[in-house]
Amino acid sequence: MIEHAPILAVVLPLFMAFLMPLIGILAERYKIKYLREIIAIGVMAIVFLITVTMALDVWAGEVVVYKLGGWSPPWGIVLTVDALSIQMALMISGLGTLVMIYSAAYMSRDNGLSQFYTLSLLVMTGMLGIVLTGDFFNFFVFLEIMSFSSYALVAFRRDAKAIEASVKYLFLNSLGASFILLSIVMLYGSVGTLNIADLAVKLASYQGAVVPSILVVALALFVTGIMIKVAMVPFHAWLADAFTAAPTAISALLAGPAAVVGIYWVARLPYLPFGTPIGIILIAFGFASMFFGVLMALMQRDFKRMLAYHVISQKGYMVLGIGLGTIGAAFGTQGGLFHLFNHSTYKALLFMGAGAVLYQAKTQKFDELGGLAKNMPLTALTFLIGALAISGIPPFNGFVSKYLIYLAGLQAGLPWITAVAVLVSALTLASFIKAFSSVFLGQRPTRLQATPEAPKLMLFAMAVMAALCVIVGLLPMLGFDIIGPAASATQNTAGYISQVLGGV
Amino acid sequence: MILSLNYVVAMLLISAGIYCLLAKKNLVKMLIGIVVMIDGVHLFLISLGYRAEGIVPIFNSEVAPSLPYFVSRAVDPLPQALVLTSIVINICTTALALSLCIYAYKHYGTLDPSKIKELKE
Repeated sequence: MIEHAPILAVVLPLFMAFLMPLIGILAERYKIKYLREIIAIGVMAIVFLITVTMALDVWAGEVVVYKLGGWSPPWGIVLTVDALSIQMALMISGLGTLVMIYSAAYMSRDNGLSQFYTLSLLVMTGMLGIVLTGDFFNFFVFLEIMSFSSYALVAFRRDAKAIEASVKYLFLNSLGASFILLSIVMLYGSVGTLNIADLAVKLASYQGAVVPSILVVALALFVTGIMIKVAMVPFHAWLADAFTAAPTAISALLAGPAAVVGIYWVARLPYLPFGTPIGIILIAFGFASMFFGVLMALMQRDFKRMLAYHVISQKGYMVLGIGLGTIGAAFGTQGGLFHLFNHSTYKALLFMGAGAVLYQAKTQKFDELGGLAKNMPLTALTFLIGALAISGIPPFNGFVSKYLIYLAGLQAGLPWITAVAVLVSALTLASFIKAFSSVFLGQRPTRLQATPEAPKLMLFAMAVMAALCVIVGLLPMLGFDIIGPAASATQNTAGYISQVLGGV
Repeated sequence: MILSLNYVVAMLLISAGIYCLLAKKNLVKMLIGIVVMIDGVHLFLISLGYRAEGIVPIFNSEVAPSLPYFVSRAVDPLPQALVLTSIVINICTTALALSLCIYAYKHYGTLDPSKIKELKE
């Protein structure tokens, strides 16, 4: 591992983000094509390599603690990287690279690309910061960096729909963020520390005794804030609009990597720093989202809107799995985290497919599309792989993780949850059969006769994603090598605390 | 007594902000609700660091003659740092939200969120 690897992973995209306007001016003056794109892709690739070097150390059983400015915890700000963080960081930087490659082609017709790459890299900074930080207030700051860069990205094209979606996204998520801030403030006021490991130690001292009501309020506010960010069912309204109206590269970015961040906190929540049994709450949210998400997806006639509702439904699976993990189902946490990994690959793939169709056919309404398999065979093939993976059909990766979640339902003694999860899976398949047949099969409107295949860069990103879906589906042990340490690190709070505070 | 009054006012501001966000039918007024609410949180946060007759939290002979005196009188500097950060973040959100409101008014000719609904079919 490079000595300063954790901070480099956060700071590199941050600085490059603010250099982007300058690079844009240079690119225009000297007529260098694709300079911004190459630099953005390069930055993400370097960040990915940095996280890989960290991953090797973390999987050897170490919690990497990086002290900012040399101040040791609990006083200074620390970056702590355990196996759960590293899973998230690997996914964010790896998928981030692919999304950047995709946007190089997808955004090529737009103006203001310097701003686009500035904002995209800021989103990456925020996400990497959230998963790597070990400080509670720092988490809030990175959360806000990520959030308002994504508000601006959703509104990037500034047409009526994008503005409407962004307004909704901003208002709801600002409310969520201020709940999280209030919760952090209450925790600081009652416990007097902001380091996550230290908070966990001090909150654990209440165990058995009567918990002060302010801590209950803080927990409630925090859960509400996180659930708004994850878009669980009562708070889901912003997600469908934002994903429909945003440029598709951004939808893929938000559906793949950005989903990671919310689930990261859902996975941390029952263990660090609160250490409270909130499994039932998670199961309830997850169950409702899984079920209602797919029902709403079935009714949609807009390509991207349908995918957006499936995001809600699939996140429901993850939250459900993690919730089941807290009430004694050993496979639950593994299933939830593995599903997150798989979902990020195939959902980004599906959005990229929808984006390719939108890019070439200029519409995303099912009624106006059809018969595109002849024109775009590779797009159709990769989309089909994604669609089968999301429906949990073997041998694709969605099957493995969904199977784990079914098993977790049985382990927890709640077979009816497993039954509903299987039913939701079948409904997902139904909805994707409808989508696939109305976009790629059937009668081709005359307007679409001459539709060309998607650009090569888009196809490259989609092919890598599709290959990941197949490889992880055929060789699930590859996935478990990443997920196994992450799942056990999630539950190993004592190890985390002793390694972070051990130097004191 | 003064301390608890701060907390009460902070919570009142937060409640007023949430009420405004939920009840008003105008994007700018809703934004004001959010800002009032976050300012309530800021007031709450900064009050946590308050100490009657506190001194600057810099330990040298001019400010505090002895360590026990320093410990008993120095204010907690952390909330001030946090609240500054949070205020900056809040300004960014407000600026972005206002610019979105301007665009929304250009496109729809209204700021009523119930009338801005082109996305729902």
